[in-house]
Amino acid sequence: MAIHKIILASFLVYLMIQFSHGATKERLFSDLEKDALDVTAKPSRQGVLDAGIDKLSITWKLSSTAKKQANFKTIKVKLCYAPVSQVDRPWRKTENELFKDKTCPHKIITRAYNKSSQSFKYTLDRDIPTGTYFVRTYAVDAKDHEVAFGQSTNEAKTTNLFSVQAISGRHKSLDIASVCFSVFSVLALLVFFVNEKRKAKLEQSK
Amino acid sequence: MAPNHSNENGSIGSSLHGVTAREQIFSFSVEDGPSSQAIRSDDPTAKFALPVDSEHRAKVFKPLSFAKPHMRAFHLGWISFFTCFISTFAAAPLVPVIRDNLDLTKTDIGNAGVASVSGAIFSRLAMGAVCDLLGARYGTAFSLMLSAPAVFSMSFVADAGSYLAVRFMIGFCLATFVSCQYWTSVMFTGKIIGLVNGCAGGWGDMGGGVTQLLMPMVFHVIKLTGATPFTAWRFAFFIPGFLQIIMGILVLTLGQDLPDGNLSTLQKSGQVSKDKFSKVFWFAVKNYRTWILFVLYGFSMGVELTINNVISGYFYDRFNLTLHTAGIVAASFGMANFFARPFGGYASDVAARLFGMRGRLWTLWILQTVGALFCIWLGRASSLPIAILAMMLFSVGTQAACGALFGVAPFVSRRSLGLISGLTGAGGNFGSGVTQLLFFSSSRFSTAEGLSLMGVMAVVCTIPVAFIHFPQWGSMFLRPSQHEERSKEEHYYGGEWTEEEKSLGLHEGSIKFAENSRSERGRKAVLADIPTPETGSPAHV
Repeated sequence: MAIHKIILASFLVYLMIQFSHGATKERLFSDLEKDALDVTAKPSRQGVLDAGIDKLSITWKLSSTAKKQANFKTIKVKLCYAPVSQVDRPWRKTENELFKDKTCPHKIITRAYNKSSQSFKYTLDRDIPTGTYFVRTYAVDAKDHEVAFGQSTNEAKTTNLFSVQAISGRHKSLDIASVCFSVFSVLALLVFFVNEKRKAKLEQSK
Repeated sequence: MAPNHSNENGSIGSSLHGVTAREQIFSFSVEDGPSSQAIRSDDPTAKFALPVDSEHRAKVFKPLSFAKPHMRAFHLGWISFFTCFISTFAAAPLVPVIRDNLDLTKTDIGNAGVASVSGAIFSRLAMGAVCDLLGARYGTAFSLMLSAPAVFSMSFVADAGSYLAVRFMIGFCLATFVSCQYWTSVMFTGKIIGLVNGCAGGWGDMGGGVTQLLMPMVFHVIKLTGATPFTAWRFAFFIPGFLQIIMGILVLTLGQDLPDGNLSTLQKSGQVSKDKFSKVFWFAVKNYRTWILFVLYGFSMGVELTINNVISGYFYDRFNLTLHTAGIVAASFGMANFFARPFGGYASDVAARLFGMRGRLWTLWILQTVGALFCIWLGRASSLPIAILAMMLFSVGTQAACGALFGVAPFVSRRSLGLISGLTGAGGNFGSGVTQLLFFSSSRFSTAEGLSLMGVMAVVCTIPVAFIHFPQWGSMFLRPSQHEERSKEEHYYGGEWTEEEKSLGLHEGSIKFAENSRSERGRKAVLADIPTPETGSPAHV
């Protein structure tokens, strides 16, 4: 039967996906070299930043305590959630297995590794949610595996955090269209109802 | 043009003559006035495209036909219901975007899920009454067109509270389930009602699966036009909103309440009497079978609704699938409805042909219990292939049970058919709210444990089906009554009318129904020589 074939095909696909994940399963965050890069992230102004408008000044350079810099090929700079923004939100959970870890989902910039100090002026994307953040940079080797990282906050993720307020996503034109269609819907129903009652009354009076 | 009244009982007693097929009556709606005047045939049933019984309900089900009025009502009914399922669960696949826009927590999302199914508890109850009093067309149209504003108002939502309120209000439209089942129950005869209701319900329920694929696609297309994600998801809700308005207009212009015409026309012309709401309500509530069905449906449809809200996240978290893949898995649960629920209805009909109502009750118990057992297995499965296998078997069992239950429901009452459909439907949503609240809204149980516990609760709550007993047909374990009077269908359905109402002839529709329901005796009905009952036959035969 067709449905059995579909089930069998999906088993095979999922098994293949499982196996392809297997190669990356053992890589852990705790294996990465800590504080290999000195990172600073300065907001363009005080207070809560507005997504889509305000900027972050991000700088990173190799730390004096770094050991594995021979492997560094690329630097990935990411925006990460502070613990307070992870409470009661399991989709932002910090996990030790790198492929499961959801702390840093927002990419800022990726650049080739350079020994000298690097900087980037980042305008907060319009799809950044409301929350409290810090910046982390991952040093990645030629096989696209993370080997080291640095972050703009301390290990407990309590210092140098900044807050962002998301855009509302609402638009005046959307609001107006919404009201128009809603009114049309209710009116159309009323018109039909009244009309039919009238016709039925006419039938009865004949 | 004045309808044709017969005068043997005076004008009041002729109120139901439109339904007895002994009169020349309209079979088309009022707008066709001039043409129907010309039709004068001795066989009123010749006007229908399908063969009909004495109540003008179709005896044959042709899914590919759109013939007026029976098949057209079927298609309008199930597509309306399908549209409402799309709207109610439209938020579920977009939650990853919505939760970022509105800064939602897991608790907020869980509560909104409960709210999305809770509104329908009340609206399904009200819908039963609306159908009995205003007809299925207006029931469907009200539901579609009055909840469309709620769908559009997603563009205003700014925080968790307003999100929950809007999902609650959108959920009201699930009342179309009741109007759809009511519409098919008055359009199709008892022998095939299991299959017809199963198809209508199942294909409508598919909306819960289709939405998991449709909404992400619409969202993606809107983003391509340049909108940011936080605006695109709001605009995406316009699609279900448009679908609702379009379906509402189609139902009102193309549909017909009853095989013989629209309810308001038949009522005004005296051909269908207006029943009193208090009586309809009392007979529905007084019947203990209604409440057993309420609980049963809470653990077949209720479980299905809960899974619609929960399963995508379960596969995403436990087996680390991508959101896209988890969505496909979630969609396939809902899509199994396409054949699973009609299969349940069909199985119920086949069992009725062989064993009568007892067969229907056993079929219901077996399907629902097996489904619940597979739900327990799903919670305990720790590898992905086993989990998917368990989920598919669970979906077939539970959805078939939904279909089988609505093979039984039309026989519980004739007078209060609409309200009983409404109460049973409300039970489905109630069960979903309860299971989501108990097992999926706190950190007490992991989602896997919650699934297994929900399965156990479903097994236990399916046992009451053994207590449904019809004096004329028996129950799962007891034979039909041997009593001379009580063993007749007419006694059961006639019992819903007082002697005074019977003397006015108001119960004649129920008597017709009782005669047609003789098929629920199983094979014995064909063999037995059953005399025509003294009460209830129209006087001018």
